[in-house]
Amino acid sequence: MLGELEQIVLLAVLRVGETAYGVPVHEEIVRLARRDLTLGTVYKTLSRLEEKGFVRSYEGDPTPQRGGRRTRCFAVTTAGRKSLESSLATLRRMAVGLDVGLEPT
Amino acid sequence: MSRPEPLPFRLLERFLPSSTADAVVGDLIERQLTGMRLWRETLVAIWHLRDRAPKEVELMSSFLSDLRLAARLLARAPTYTAAAVLTLGIAIGATAAIFSVANPVLIQPLPYHNADRVMVVWERDRDGSRSTVGFTTIRDYAAHSTTFESSAALGDWQPTVSEGTEPERLQGLRVSSTYFHTLGVQPMLGRDFRADEDVPGAQRVVIIAYALWQRRFGGDPSIIGKPISIGGTPMPVVGVMPKDFDDVTAPGAQIWRVLGYAVTDPYACRTCRHLRMIARLKPGVTVERAQSELTKVHKAIAAEHPEDYASPDALVAPLQREVTLQYRPALLALGTAVALMLIIAIANMTNLQLARLVRREEEFAIRTALGASAPRLARQLLTEAMLIGVLGGVAGLAVAWAAIPALVRQLPPQLPRLGAIHLDLAALGVIGAIVVVLTVVVGLAPRRGRRVSNIADGLRAGRRLTGTPHSAVRAGLVVAELAFALMLLVGAGLLARSVIRLLDVDKGFDASNLLTLEFNAVGPRYPANEDVFAYHDKVRDAVRALPGVLSVGVVNQLPLGGNLDMYGVEAQDKPESDPAKVPSGDRYVVSADYLSTMRIRIVAGRAFTPAEERDTVNRIALVSQALATRLWPGESAIGKRIRMGGPERPFRTIIGVTGNVHHAGLDATQLKQFYVPERQWFFSDDTEMLVVRTQGNPTALAGAVRRAIQQIDPAQPIVKIAAMEEVVAASTAQRRLALTLFTCFALAALLLAVAGIYGVLAGNVAERTREIGLRAALGATPGNILRLVVGQGARMAVIGLGVGLFGAFALTRSLRALLFGVGPNDPTTIVVATGVLLAAALAACLVPALRALRVDPSQAFRSD
Repeated sequence: MLGELEQIVLLAVLRVGETAYGVPVHEEIVRLARRDLTLGTVYKTLSRLEEKGFVRSYEGDPTPQRGGRRTRCFAVTTAGRKSLESSLATLRRMAVGLDVGLEPT
Repeated sequence: MSRPEPLPFRLLERFLPSSTADAVVGDLIERQLTGMRLWRETLVAIWHLRDRAPKEVELMSSFLSDLRLAARLLARAPTYTAAAVLTLGIAIGATAAIFSVANPVLIQPLPYHNADRVMVVWERDRDGSRSTVGFTTIRDYAAHSTTFESSAALGDWQPTVSEGTEPERLQGLRVSSTYFHTLGVQPMLGRDFRADEDVPGAQRVVIIAYALWQRRFGGDPSIIGKPISIGGTPMPVVGVMPKDFDDVTAPGAQIWRVLGYAVTDPYACRTCRHLRMIARLKPGVTVERAQSELTKVHKAIAAEHPEDYASPDALVAPLQREVTLQYRPALLALGTAVALMLIIAIANMTNLQLARLVRREEEFAIRTALGASAPRLARQLLTEAMLIGVLGGVAGLAVAWAAIPALVRQLPPQLPRLGAIHLDLAALGVIGAIVVVLTVVVGLAPRRGRRVSNIADGLRAGRRLTGTPHSAVRAGLVVAELAFALMLLVGAGLLARSVIRLLDVDKGFDASNLLTLEFNAVGPRYPANEDVFAYHDKVRDAVRALPGVLSVGVVNQLPLGGNLDMYGVEAQDKPESDPAKVPSGDRYVVSADYLSTMRIRIVAGRAFTPAEERDTVNRIALVSQALATRLWPGESAIGKRIRMGGPERPFRTIIGVTGNVHHAGLDATQLKQFYVPERQWFFSDDTEMLVVRTQGNPTALAGAVRRAIQQIDPAQPIVKIAAMEEVVAASTAQRRLALTLFTCFALAALLLAVAGIYGVLAGNVAERTREIGLRAALGATPGNILRLVVGQGARMAVIGLGVGLFGAFALTRSLRALLFGVGPNDPTTIVVATGVLLAAALAACLVPALRALRVDPSQAFRSD
């Protein structure tokens, strides 16, 4: 079972897709999760997910608008995807028959 | 790109692993954050992502290796290490010891419930002095005040316990039944006094201290309810106070009984000002509010009874402040002195460390060349400083541990909270704080000078021609040490002169070969005054019969003995309607031979004759010169008539005038006194002093005198046997203790400052050997070279002394309360102290100067 923050971050990485580095992942979370997280918290969660083998990271290219610094890109691994699916499935099972706004598929 | 990066980014790069830092900083730049948001992101990122484990492990292992290196360095220089640790140990230990005294006395709240609300209430006389209060006044204050939660009256009481073993005089108090409640304490065993016990004629009950309960009654809990014999009267014990209870209103008190006054009692009158009052403020009431209300209350009472109040006002003041009032100046002065000494010791340590650093420049250069970073070397220095600091702290702990009990023995026994003075956690905290400050100052001082960065320079160290790094810092430290040392020397000098002046004072009696002791006659065997007087006569006869005894006298209170028993003296020919203007005099109720035994001068008229001692009809008195002059300036007092103790007392005729005696202290300015034969006073005193003039050493006779008195009545305790010279010495104990400690601190400071000046100059000469040799080779005379070295030392000395003079003016103002016969800016003291320090400083210059003279010019060209 993943923590809530881990689920949110994993979902955000999946949503951003190929160029999932700090800024877009963070933006996605702020936009959809409506949480004022700091970048540090996002990176902290990502590194925890990486330790668990749910995401992997690679260095991206430096760009001028980042002062010539490289990005660090993240992608969800198969294990991460499975874990996420199982977490969400658990939530749905638990919500069956309850009026909590979570529809079973 | 050449623009320096904003601080948050530099912090991130400093604390985050480099790849993470790149990603985070890049993201932050991309998001174009500024201000608070940027800082928030930075701090959170550092908190979550900082490069933790490896760095800490590395720091720890480098700390341990630094520590090993520091320990090896110190072990290789045992003399230096011992001197440093000893110096720091003494300074830190002395600081902790003085702090341990000051902390419970002045700083910690008294050990009572909400002790900050407990106040002392005085009547305030026209000259601003505090006065004890009459019972009726206390009752009125309590009745009219709305700011007091409760209040109580208390009076001194020194009962004799004759239960069981040896009879014993105890320090005690007679108190209102509300006394303990007002203080905020309760008996641990039994109960508090009840209001129905605090009335005339009620059964007299007592509460005893834990120590007395343990000592005399073996800690037996069944003591509650049992009567004990107090001066022959059985009084039931109703309570035992807790072990840690310390009655600051009467330090050393071991027994309390209810006051049992009624307003109708003759000794309860408004002018019978012999009681003290304490009060507990209601929660939230400020001292100022209580004071302004009590002022109004007092003025209203005084307006109603104008003839009874000499005092225009009343005073409400916190209990803690009041009971420590007389000790505060000495403790603050000592605190300042010890702090100065500590600063000097730290400055000295810094100086020594800087001096060593100069010699180790080569080592640092090599280590830098081998790749040690500047922070790494700085950590090394900090670790060394810490090691010295901790060793000094441990030594200081040992010094404090040994010094505190010794100090406590020297402190006046009346000092409140004396029992609470010990090496406690707070003192350990102070030592710890000093060690931290020491570590930081000594460890970081080198960074203020020059960084050891230029490797080539460092490796060439020792061949430098002139100038050393840190020399300005080191000279500054020496200047500060000299300045502080001068302040301490001036302080010690002023105290020394005060004590000398004080001991030189004409006391008005001859203290040599005089034995004194306190005795009394209480209990059923002495029902009437005449029985007491008969006992006194027997005691005098028995003691006079001893070989080696010249004469014997009896008196109710001893000069310089710490009692303050005074009565207003009214002259028959000069009636005074304003009670405030009636002069008060020390009351001496004496046997006829007291004056001759004390060798108090008779300046006019004559002394009492033995026949007059028994005459209770023709009332007579002697007065001191000061009292005679106050009442009849320019006239003879002989034949005049005076009255003491109020209008209901008879007038008596003055038959003689005595020299003034210093009663309250050697520095007393109140010298008005009167003498009355004991059978002519209107009551017999509970306790009496016996004075015995001896042929030789008075203390050698103490045993014989005691035995002679005890043969008359073994149930009566004999206490305070002492030579009068000891009594005189004890009266100056506080000043002498301040003097001793101040002198120790000042001498230590002098030594350290001189060592400091020597260290700087000696180091300088050693480093400038080449320069000096070169000068000699180029024709400098020995005089030139001497001037070169001594001149440098003299400059430091003069600046230091100049600064120190200003400091001394500031310090000695705080000493004013301890001075006697000298002003705080006494020129002699300042000149002598300056001279001593200057001479010592110049002597310290001479050794290195002579060494400089012996420099062989050829050394200038030798290379090693």
